[in-house]
Amino acid sequence: MTTMTMTGAAVTLQDITRVYGRGQAAVRAVDGVTLDFPRGSWTAVMGPSGSGKSTLLHCAAGLERVDSGRVLIGDTDITAAGDSQLTALRRTRIGFVFQSFNLIGSLTAEQNVALPLRLAGQRPSRADVRATLAAVGLADRVRHRPRELSGGQQQRVAIARAMVTRPEVLFADEPTGALDSSAARTVLDLMRAMADAGQSIVMVTHDPGAAARADSVVFLRDGRAVDRLTGASTHAVADRLAAWER
Amino acid sequence: MRGLSRAGLAERFGSAFRPSLGGGWGGRMVAGALLSATLGVALVQSSLLLLITAALLDPPAGASAAERLEFTDGTTAAVSMLGVVLGGAVFLAGFIISSTFAFTVDQRRRDLALLRLVGGSRGQLRRLLLGEALLLGTLGAALGVPSGLAVMSFQAWLMREFAFVPPGFEGRWRMWILGVSFGTGILLAVAGVLVAARRAARVRPLEALRETGAAAKVMTWSRALIGLVFLGGALALVIVAPAGGPAGGMAMAMNVPIPAAVAVVAFAPLLVPLIARLVPFTGPAGLARANLRDARRRSASVAAPLIVLVALVVGNTGAGASFTASGVRELAAQTHADLVVESTAAAPGGTAPSGTDAASPSGTAGAASIAQVPGVASVSTETRLPAEVTTGSGEDRETEVVSLLVIDPAAYGKAHGTGDALASLSGRAVAAGPGGDVPTKGTVELRLPTRDLGRIPVTASVPATMSGGANLLVPPGLVTPQELAGAPARSFVTLSPGADAAAVRATLAKIGTVSTVADWLRADAEAANSTNQKIMLIVLGLGGLYALIGVINSVVIGAATRRREFAEARVTGMTRAQVVRSALLESYAVTTAALLLGAVAAGATFIAVLATTKSVTGTATLDLPWPQIAGVALIALAVTGATTLITSLSATRPQPVTQLRSS
Ligand SMILES: Nc1ncnc2c1ncn2[C@@H]1O[C@H](COP(=O)(O)OP(=O)(O)OP(=O)(O)O)[C@@H](O)[C@H]1O
Ligand SMILES: [Mg+2]
Repeated sequence: MTTMTMTGAAVTLQDITRVYGRGQAAVRAVDGVTLDFPRGSWTAVMGPSGSGKSTLLHCAAGLERVDSGRVLIGDTDITAAGDSQLTALRRTRIGFVFQSFNLIGSLTAEQNVALPLRLAGQRPSRADVRATLAAVGLADRVRHRPRELSGGQQQRVAIARAMVTRPEVLFADEPTGALDSSAARTVLDLMRAMADAGQSIVMVTHDPGAAARADSVVFLRDGRAVDRLTGASTHAVADRLAAWER
Repeated sequence: MRGLSRAGLAERFGSAFRPSLGGGWGGRMVAGALLSATLGVALVQSSLLLLITAALLDPPAGASAAERLEFTDGTTAAVSMLGVVLGGAVFLAGFIISSTFAFTVDQRRRDLALLRLVGGSRGQLRRLLLGEALLLGTLGAALGVPSGLAVMSFQAWLMREFAFVPPGFEGRWRMWILGVSFGTGILLAVAGVLVAARRAARVRPLEALRETGAAAKVMTWSRALIGLVFLGGALALVIVAPAGGPAGGMAMAMNVPIPAAVAVVAFAPLLVPLIARLVPFTGPAGLARANLRDARRRSASVAAPLIVLVALVVGNTGAGASFTASGVRELAAQTHADLVVESTAAAPGGTAPSGTDAASPSGTAGAASIAQVPGVASVSTETRLPAEVTTGSGEDRETEVVSLLVIDPAAYGKAHGTGDALASLSGRAVAAGPGGDVPTKGTVELRLPTRDLGRIPVTASVPATMSGGANLLVPPGLVTPQELAGAPARSFVTLSPGADAAAVRATLAKIGTVSTVADWLRADAEAANSTNQKIMLIVLGLGGLYALIGVINSVVIGAATRRREFAEARVTGMTRAQVVRSALLESYAVTTAALLLGAVAAGATFIAVLATTKSVTGTATLDLPWPQIAGVALIALAVTGATTLITSLSATRPQPVTQLRSS
């Protein structure tokens, strides 16, 4: 197993299924998906609304249990991980960015970014935290609270918070979903730079333009992985998406 | 973690006093929790200090032996009243502080889920919440100690004003109360958060992503268990009360509201939305109704202090008024006489009223003389003395001040309808009186103010009555005329058929103050009602006010996390007025449900009242103070309505978009 560490995927999904509800009302949100998200690469997940993208992401990140199949982060099987193991995972190996920025309103940008380190029991150095904020272009906003920041700025704070622990994988669910095109572009540029620097990223998106910035795109439909494109243009992604939405 | 907690609190505190800067919602939440701790500590501290001061009160120097006994009797009454006040304060502080703190935790599930999402462990969340509770409990106690002094001077003033304590009575500060007050604040805050923190620590990180923050489970097993245990306690009190005699039954019935209210509150997450949905109203887009269905737990938390308030105030005032009415009715039924003469026992050899004999055989001036007034068929003259009775032996030895009545057994039986229960009463034997408290057989040690009578057999008893009265009835021979001199005497006079009532009254007026039995009963009823109201005011006044502040608190905390929800409603096309109106309707429905549920808890008390009055007097009595009840309902509706209006107006003041911006 250890030999796979350097070469293997950042995240591996083996035939995972997630069912919500029971009996008549049961919904197979994710239905037998087997996928690799390559290390050091940015993968976008696309598909019609309700196709199970968010559920897939949550399962991959250990936020949601799978009903069957296996989930591996690197070479660690997290399928049956307990709460403390998952907590440790969130602390050190994975980061999240979501559509609603999920910052703590009472804390400043700086404090929000330092939060994961504090929770991990480290004394975050101010310089590190500021450097992380500077990396997302917010060096001059460290003392602002979320409500004093624009949506794009808040999302960049959320990315800084996700990145401050230098996670193996960054999970993002529609990170540009609430942003206008220029704020979205700033965030995508940031993610592109991170991926180029070797960061593994899994991103759910509706936007073919955003997906085209990724290295590859996975398509979901009715909870199944139905297609995969690599290095496609916005146009190609949009066409493929339209085909699957039909 | 400590830094996080401090940052959170600092911001919340800061904004509590600067709500205009916006986003002060967390601030109001913390301010509400702090206020509940401060006032709870203040109330407990004040009641405890007053209780101890009253218990250690010494009779004034230079008081006669009889005055000393009367004084002790008075302070015993004040002490037991303050005991009830303290019990109520402890219950309310426990209930309001712990439920407020638990509510603030419940309301922050989304923030807590977010902490889990970025790597917080369950233990860290628990420690954070407990740390906050510790801090707020300590702070609440620090503010509660000085507030408690203010509350104490007010309570002492009230007790002086109503003459439950001697003039000049003041609560006395004791250093150790600091330990009690800080202990109370910290313990109750931490206890309140303990359960909520365990539940909150189990919040799933994914809940941070749900916009509305999926609420905690509506009913938990532990909640149901607590509800059932307290329901059992309330039922036990209701069932046992009628067997407890007048004093025990009354005490048990008056204690029903507490467990009944706790039981109802435990099931509130099921009951409040259910009842609130039955409240008829129509609102914009059915939003209020949908919210009721959705936010069951919040509705229940908002309703909880109101349920307790209604149960306590309505239950206790209703029970107090009913017991008083029952006693008044009972006294009227048991008193068989035409006139009542209030006089003072004269010293032997002293000047007796003209036309009457001096020393009477009963040792009571007046009895014989009244009997000899033409037109008087019979008279029962009863002279009151304080005395000390000691019962039991060894560990169980207990001495208390009682009220002793020197009577003519036969005449007493006729005037009070006790038949020949007292026939055996003569010589050194005594009887247990209608006031209870003295064993109905065996022996007691009896001490008069001036003389120790030693062990004396109790050979008879009359039934204890609702209206109370003397604890001990003694035959004339036991007490010398000298010992009775100056004691208040009351004579129940029955006229012979055809007697000239006016003439008899005129003659009796030379002996004492004469009134018809009807007038005397009316005056007695008035005095009883007024005493009852004063007691209710002292026992429920401040506690009720505290519960009302708890109600306001819970409305404010309930609204604290709704800015976003309101903003979404507005973005969807509702006007500000519609949003506010919908919040008001929701509050109205929850308040109505809480009033009804509080009434259910009070109703349990009334069952105990009916059963107890029936078993003691033979007539089930329920006499509800409707004006007070209506007052409580109106105040509750007005206060929750006004608080909701203010919070929802202030939450909708900023442009909705700004509220949707930050998470
Ligand atoms: N907690 C839940 N309980 C029940 N059903 C759920 C739950 N979460 C998701 N579902 C269902 O699972 C399916 C997949 O949902 P999911 O959120 O993964 O879709 P999605 O692809 O992310 O959609 P969108 O693009 O709209 O965000 C949907 O049919 C949804 O209704
Ligand atoms: Mg989704």
